[in-house]
This record gives sequence, structure tokens and C-alpha cells, in this order.
Amino acid sequence: MKKFLKTLIPFDIAKGLSITGTYFAKVFLTANRAKVKQHVVSEYPEVPAPLEPRFRGRVQLILDEAGDPKCVCCNACAKACPTGVITIEGGKKEGRKTRIPTRWDYEMERCVFCGFCVEACSFDAIKLNSQFELAAYDREDFSLGLTGAHNVLEPSPVGKFSYSDEA
Amino acid sequence: MPTISLTQSLVISLIQCVLVVVFIFVVVPLTVFAERKVLGYLQQRLGSTRIAGHLGGLTGLLNRGMWKLGKVPVLSYWRGLPGLVGDVMKMLLKEDILPTKADKFVFWIAPALSFVASVVVFATICFVPGTFFTFPTWVPFLGGLPVSGGIADVNVGLLWILGMATVGVYGIVLAGWASNSKYPLLGGLRSAAQMVSYEVPLTLSLLAPVLISGSLKFSEMSQAMAVGVPLWAIIPQVIGFLIYLTCGFAETNRVPFDMPEAENELVAGFHTEYSGMKFGFFYLAEYVNMTVVSAMAAGFFLGGSWLLPFGLQGVVNPYLASLPSWLVTLLCEPHAAFFAIKIVFLLFVFIWVRGTIPRYRYDQIMAVAWKYLIPLTLVNLVLAAAVRLAM
Ligand code: SF4
Ligand code: SF4
Repeated sequence: MKKFLKTLIPFDIAKGLSITGTYFAKVFLTANRAKVKQHVVSEYPEVPAPLEPRFRGRVQLILDEAGDPKCVCCNACAKACPTGVITIEGGKKEGRKTRIPTRWDYEMERCVFCGFCVEACSFDAIKLNSQFELAAYDREDFSLGLTGAHNVLEPSPVGKFSYSDEA
Repeated sequence: MPTISLTQSLVISLIQCVLVVVFIFVVVPLTVFAERKVLGYLQQRLGSTRIAGHLGGLTGLLNRGMWKLGKVPVLSYWRGLPGLVGDVMKMLLKEDILPTKADKFVFWIAPALSFVASVVVFATICFVPGTFFTFPTWVPFLGGLPVSGGIADVNVGLLWILGMATVGVYGIVLAGWASNSKYPLLGGLRSAAQMVSYEVPLTLSLLAPVLISGSLKFSEMSQAMAVGVPLWAIIPQVIGFLIYLTCGFAETNRVPFDMPEAENELVAGFHTEYSGMKFGFFYLAEYVNMTVVSAMAAGFFLGGSWLLPFGLQGVVNPYLASLPSWLVTLLCEPHAAFFAIKIVFLLFVFIWVRGTIPRYRYDQIMAVAWKYLIPLTLVNLVLAAAVRLAM
């Protein structure tokens, strides 16, 4: 009898309708203008995606006060890297006690963004920055060095490398 | 009233047809668009807010423009509207594929049948009883002539509607058969079984208004149901409305009863082999059918072109008679706008239900029709008969 009544009077359907109806009213009345968002989707390219503090983006060298890389060319990161995408050659610079990299190549196309290189570095000379819009049309754009427009010392120029040329 | 010559009446009918077609072709695309937006909102999404394409050029410009629109309160709901134009263009321009082994004539006629059957139903649907508007006297040829609220408000209007709705089933079954492919055939047969099953409670639930109003004419029925019934006639009206709506969902193959096109089982059901504008006709027919079902539910149960649903208008009308005359004209008299608003609301309910209830299993659908809806409609019919007896 109870089952029969439950089938006859559609309580469950009414409950479901009220839930979706509430969602509709909330999202419809606030659309995308509210301070507190009622909708769960984000409108990514226009609204920047929120990133966690521990987000692992692209490898970037940290600079010291003089503007030189803090890296001392110990090669610990290159050895720790599981995909072997780091190649370092050390040189000397006037007035600096430690060595300074003359070559610091990073092949981003094979990097798995694991962060082992950061853990291996005892000199706080390397970090994974917060960039993720790194797609490019050319393989060469993924080979980063100390020089050039796309290098390991600065963040990647967004727009040139993450957007198509037609933009 | 001035006498009307045959030519004049023909021209007036033509004008009515154009008005109805304009109404359909305004409401249907907007429903397609609203479906995307409302389904999104119902599930805490935003629906379509941009269109696909490059970041530059026209699409980029449109997308950036729509993003700016999103900041303006009312305009933000219209983001993604250009996608509708893209849809129409795609349907018109896409290659029309004819399967080699398909029955060419039937394959061609099926979408037309389905679409025409759903549109012609509007002939007997009466948007407002009596005169819709009168031409001003300065209009050449037609000056001073009244235009009635329905194209052909015939005495057997309901029979015409139900008959034509059944012809629409042919479109689907023939499409399934003519495609010469197993999924469309299964979809078409399921559709036949489902529609034949739901035709019964649908017709039975409409018998209650017929019984109470004692007429088959759309305008008379809607008038009788809106202002001609006592208060307690609300019980058969509400039950009948819910049953009718359920059967309407099934008749138009909408979720939760979209068995003919159950994607996870039948690819796309009866229109698997269709592409281009032939598919477009099926797509349009579905939405026109939704509008028809909404119009009938609005006319017979929600008080038609009167303000209040379920016959409440007739109950409150005597109390309102003391109000200022313009208020009485607004609240107590029929208006085509009320009818249109009710149709739009019911279309929203269609989408609301789609966004809430998942598809039933096939045997459940049949069980709902035969084990619950039909006995319920019979009980409802007895209630309606009691109302009629006491009236
Ligand atoms: S993040 Fe991982 S893969 Fe990338 S350079 Fe560092 S160690 Fe190598
Ligand atoms: S581990 Fe640090 S200091 Fe050593 S080579 Fe790598 S970046 Fe330079």
C-alpha cells in the first residue's frame, strides 16, 4: 500500500524538481554577476583560473640580488630529473665566489613537472612557477635556455606562446 | 458586423496563418536556446555563453562582445544566442546524406510528415475566444473586419488535434523503417509502442474537460474550463493536468520518456541516418509538438486566455466585478498574452523536468502507462462525471 501510494503521488519527482528549481532560481537571479558565485563552472579565459600555492608550473631559475641566477651548477637537479631534460654547463664570473651557469638548457616538451629538480637543489636556485598556458605550435618554443625571448630566467611571455598567432 | 466576402475571409485566414507561423518560429528557436541555458542553470552551470571558433576574427569578436554583455544584468542571459544562428546555418548547409539501401520516397516524406502534422494542429488552437483584434478602418480592403483568435475553431477541434498528433507518430515510425538500419528501426518501433500506449491515458485525461464542458470545440472547452465550472471542479482539473502533462512528455518523446532516441542504447534512435535539414525537421517537429502540448494543457487546464488556472477565474470573477473597469478588463477578460505566457511557462516545465528526471527503463514506461495512468484517468473521469452531474 505504501509503495503504491509512493508511486501514485510523485513525492520524489517533486523533491527533485524543487532542488533543480532552487539551483535555477539562484543561478538565474545572479547569472555571472554575483560576488559569491552560485554556479560551479568557471569562465576560464576571461576569468583567471584560481591556482593552489603548491601548483607546479614551468621551471624557472631564481635570481640573486645582483640579478644573476643563484644556481651554482652542482648538477644535482639534472641528475634528479627523471626525464633528463636539464643540461647545465658552469663558468666563472668576476667577483662571484661560486660558479655561474653559462648554459642552462631546459627541454620543456619532455618535462613532467614533477618538481624533483626543486627538491634536489640545496641552494634554493630553482622553482616551478605558476604558469600553465604553455602550449605552442613549434617544437623549438619548448627549448628554453639562458638567452632568447623564451628563457628559464623569466616567466614565459603569455599570449605569444599560449595563443595562436591569429589572435 | 460588416458582411465578409469570400476573398476577404480568405485573406484574413491567411493573415491568421502567418501570425501563427510567426508565433511558432519565434517560440521554437527561443525554446531551443532556452533549453541550453535553462538546463545549465538547473544544474548550476551557465549554459552556452560563447561560440566555437578562433580567438580572432568574427567569432573572437562575438565572444569578447558576449563576455562584455555578461556584465549587464538583463543582457547576460542572451550570451550564446549567436550559436543558434550557427545551428540553423549548419542544418541548412550540411550535406544531406541518403543511405544507399534506404527507401528513398519514405525516407524523404517521413520528416515532412512529422513536421507538418505538428504544425497543422495549430489550426484549431484558439489563442483567445471571439475576436483577437479588429482592423482599423483605414486599412484597405480589410478595414473594420474582425480577426478571430483561432484559424479554424471547428466544432471537432479536439478530434483534429488528437488525430493529427497520431499522424505525427507515422513520421517517426516511417523514418525508422525507411532508414533500413537496425537502430532507427528499433527506435521507431519503441516509439510506436510508447505512443500507442500513452495515446490512451492522454485521450482519457482530455475526456474530463470534454465531459465537463460538453463540447469538442477548443474555444468553448477552454472557456468552460476557465470560467464555467464550480470551485470543486478543481480536483479533476488538477489530476487531469498532471496526467495530461505526463502523457504529453511521452507523446513528444521528451526526457524522461525519450525511448525512441535513447542515446545509450540506440545511437540516436529513429533519426540516426538523418542529417542536414531532414534531421532539422524532426528537431523542429519535437519543439513544435512541445508547444502544441503546452498550448493544449494551457487551454484545457490552466485557464486558457484567462488569468487564473484550474477554473479559479470563474470563481473569483464575481468578487472582482467591483474593481475599476480597466482592472476588470485586465483581470477578468481573456487575453492572448495570458495564453502565450502559459505556453512559455509550460515549455519551461518541459525543460525543468528534462533537467531533473533521468530516463525511465522501457518496461517502467509501459508499466507507468498501463498500470497507473490509465486507472488514474478512469478515476478522474468518474470525478469529472460527478462534477458534471452536480453542475
Ligand atoms: S620538474 Fe621534473 S621533469 Fe621537469 S625538469 Fe624538474 S625534475 Fe625534470
Ligand atoms: S640543483 Fe640548483 S644549484 Fe644545482 S645545478 Fe640545479 S639549479 Fe643549479
